[in-house]
Amino acid sequence: MRNDGAIWRNFAIPGVVWLILFVVIPAYAVLAVAMGQINSLLQPVPQWNPIDWNVGFVKEAFTSVVPGGTYWPATRNTITYVASTVVLCFAIGYPVAYYVARHAGRRKGLLLLLIFLPFWVSYLMRMLAWIGLLAPDGYVNQVLGWIGIGHTEWLSGNPYSVIAALTYGYIPYFILPVYAGLDRLDQRLLEASRDLGANPIRSFLRVTLPLSWPSILAGSVLIVLPMFGDYYTNDLISGSPHTNMLGNSVNLLVQGGSQKNLGAALVLVLMTILAIGMLYYLWETKRQQEKLAA
Amino acid sequence: MSVTAPPEATPKHAPPVRPSRMPDWFGNPWGRPRWLKATTWVYIAWSLLPVLAAIVFSFNDGRSRSVWQGFSTRWWWGDPNLSVFHDPIYTNALFHSLELAALDMLIATPLGFLLALGLSRWRGRGSGTANFLMLVPLTTPELAMAVSLLLVFTQLSVLPFTAIALGTGAQVIGQVTFSVSYVVVIVRSRLAAIGPEYEEAARDLGANARQSLQHVLFPLLAPAAFASTLIVFALSIDDFVVTQYMSAGGETVTIPMLLYANARGAATTPALNAVATIMVLVTLVGVGGAYLVLRWFGHRSGEADAANQMGMDLTGME
Amino acid sequence: MEMAAAAQASPVVGGHEGGEVRLEALEKRFDDVVAVDAIDLQIASGEFFSLLGPSGCGKTTTLRLIAGFERPTSGDVRLDGVSLAQVPPDRRNVNTVFQSYALFPHLNVLDNVAFGMRYQKVKKAERERRAKEALELVELGDYAKRRPHQLSGGQQQRVALARALVLRPSVLLLDEPLGALDAKIRRALRVELKALQEEVGTTFIFVTHDQEEALSMSDRIAVMHEGRVDQVGTPREIYEGPATLFVADFLGVANVMDVEVVTSDGTGCRLRVGERELRAECDFVGTGAASAVVRPERLRVAPHDEVGENHIPGMIDRTVYVGSNLTVMVRLANGGVLQASVPNDGVDLDSHEQGAPVSVHVPPDALRILAPSGVTPAT
Repeated sequence: MRNDGAIWRNFAIPGVVWLILFVVIPAYAVLAVAMGQINSLLQPVPQWNPIDWNVGFVKEAFTSVVPGGTYWPATRNTITYVASTVVLCFAIGYPVAYYVARHAGRRKGLLLLLIFLPFWVSYLMRMLAWIGLLAPDGYVNQVLGWIGIGHTEWLSGNPYSVIAALTYGYIPYFILPVYAGLDRLDQRLLEASRDLGANPIRSFLRVTLPLSWPSILAGSVLIVLPMFGDYYTNDLISGSPHTNMLGNSVNLLVQGGSQKNLGAALVLVLMTILAIGMLYYLWETKRQQEKLAA
Repeated sequence: MSVTAPPEATPKHAPPVRPSRMPDWFGNPWGRPRWLKATTWVYIAWSLLPVLAAIVFSFNDGRSRSVWQGFSTRWWWGDPNLSVFHDPIYTNALFHSLELAALDMLIATPLGFLLALGLSRWRGRGSGTANFLMLVPLTTPELAMAVSLLLVFTQLSVLPFTAIALGTGAQVIGQVTFSVSYVVVIVRSRLAAIGPEYEEAARDLGANARQSLQHVLFPLLAPAAFASTLIVFALSIDDFVVTQYMSAGGETVTIPMLLYANARGAATTPALNAVATIMVLVTLVGVGGAYLVLRWFGHRSGEADAANQMGMDLTGME
Repeated sequence: MEMAAAAQASPVVGGHEGGEVRLEALEKRFDDVVAVDAIDLQIASGEFFSLLGPSGCGKTTTLRLIAGFERPTSGDVRLDGVSLAQVPPDRRNVNTVFQSYALFPHLNVLDNVAFGMRYQKVKKAERERRAKEALELVELGDYAKRRPHQLSGGQQQRVALARALVLRPSVLLLDEPLGALDAKIRRALRVELKALQEEVGTTFIFVTHDQEEALSMSDRIAVMHEGRVDQVGTPREIYEGPATLFVADFLGVANVMDVEVVTSDGTGCRLRVGERELRAECDFVGTGAASAVVRPERLRVAPHDEVGENHIPGMIDRTVYVGSNLTVMVRLANGGVLQASVPNDGVDLDSHEQGAPVSVHVPPDALRILAPSGVTPAT
């Protein structure tokens, strides 16, 4: 079987070539544009040679996302919206995942089907659904009118609508790993905890929650990553610059056309923030694995 | 040594039962917590009813997508100009979405399948990097990928990038690039579940490397290949960001792009809900059908059957 | 590995009385399946009591009913006279050693052992001291800071034991605690566990499917079968006087013969086996078809020319050498086969060759007659 290795490598070659062409080189293109120049027609001139890199745009991008910078509001919104969404996903998704994993009984199949149905409905379709409901004459306002709270502008720059929409959109991706984690959790550990005298609340806090921590982290990463590049939720649910997130800023700079260099630099900022987050996640996962390794 | 009759209970010091610190209905380990059940069902209602409402509104008699004005099928086929099946904007988008999905499936599945096989066994120089590369599309926000692809297609004047203009070609490339990773993940997890034993058995029974692949591994991986094809289909149909960035407008607009552009439009009719409904139905029918096919796969060739089959194939061939 | 020796010097575990368990018409159904079928049992304080049976016989469900993980469909569990049926597991003064130990993977060994004391309102310093003492007791004092997965199976088992015993339960429940260990450690731990139980004096209820384990450790055994208790008694009573065919078959190897009871007077009886008549000890009055059970080690394989009472002629079918003894299969004239165990005390192997004619001696007190149907046992 000595020459088998070559077979396996040959299988991988087309895929690897594809990834180099359409992942590695494009990533370098972002770098080249971010470190490049801009011509008189406001078009970017990428600088492919690292020796001649111009760090102006990258500097501008990094200073614009800190307090006082042009994109600080977008950064602040991103952080608060993403954090709120993660908290809401946990508050709503964890009990649901817990119930389905541990108490669903013979209804488990049906519940799993219903809970994961949204995976197969396009994200934009699910946003479209809320646009109808939250419209000025939509059902949400009608119901609020009946109970006397009155009419609210949900779809123009309302940050609560954006957070609610993000939660609605991303929560299935949070529930999936948390469900898997709780489903794997050994029932006997909970029985042992009860047997040793811990009541249900204490058993949950000292056994279930710590043991499901890795899957909570995984679920959070799964929803945080795409939210950092999300511009469509905001565009659809709010449409107002007040609720802009970093994704909106990048989208406007790049697709708007005039400032592709800064847009590319902002992508670098975004990736830097996420890389730090991912490193923390990997470190924490490794630590958990060492703790729990079987 | 032998204890024949148990003696009567002796005076006890430790109480057999400790006092309760919480209400019995709460501490009860045998019941199913009702509030969790309620939360779950409320969640399910919240997650599905709005979509159902959007689907219902595609049958609205008026132009509104938020106020019910009676039932009609005008936005589906009744209206000769504005209904989904008559308005070229919708029919084009529908056709283009399906076209992209087909191309994506056709390219991403074999590419990812081979990459998964390669990455799972190739242990030489470069395999670590290849593994890392495969994960990049899964751990990067789609927007970052879309921007990078846009820049490389518009700014880099080197082959092959100059040969690809924004439009269908670029859209397919973009979709394949992120789909491949999903295929790799699915096929690899199946490979890991199969383990090396079947292949080793095939080699032991006299098959060479190619034969053991062709007669043992490929049939065992068929369900995973099929499942990943379907995932690619669903990913492609639902994709928005990369497809939009790689689009050249006009003929290359997909249904998600239509939804993004028109969902807030004042002039938009319930035909948009109808086209969104079609997209949901296509995906659900695909997924449901695939589920049935996979079950049939499972019935037809259990692991043991596949193993038995192997010996017969090897003896009966050539 | 001398756990018991340390126990004498240490007051960390046990040290109180009580622990009498009564199961009263205890029944558990899962939908249509009856897991435990109205069983009555009385387990004395300080007893080492085993529930023995094959998988699916209801022994683990019974244990879980006592622990409180399952709620009885009907009937009651009483601990020192107090009904436990409606009491959740965390409030019962009963602790469990789980089958695969269920040690908390996110806590170290010391925290695992100290886990339960927190809920008994034991002060932190005291908790730590008692947990350490309990670990010393099971000879794992040096492993306090390790994680459970860093310990061997035998060590994990002892941590689980310390974790439960440190709470000074009235009753300790053990669910196949030796099942996951390899044979040699299992045999050693058997002795230690029994010694430990004698030292701490706590009632142990031990679930196992291993008859050797149950016989060697228990004061009394309940043999369970299809949700019911077939027989309760001391190991000797159960092994030598099985009440049912199931008990006879489940505990060790049993030769079962179809016999016809010709006469019986409550102390002795005469049986017909094929052409032969045998004398046996019987405790019932009546006649009819019955089953006779005899253990292989009670049969004596004699030379074919030895004749007399309770001798059956036969021919050696097969001899298996198993070291300490020979297992000899003897085919009888009626076609039946008896398995005999011949001690390997320098016996002449040639005389046990296949086809050799022999005479099997069945001592009257070795035969256990399971009463023919329609007969009243004279107890």
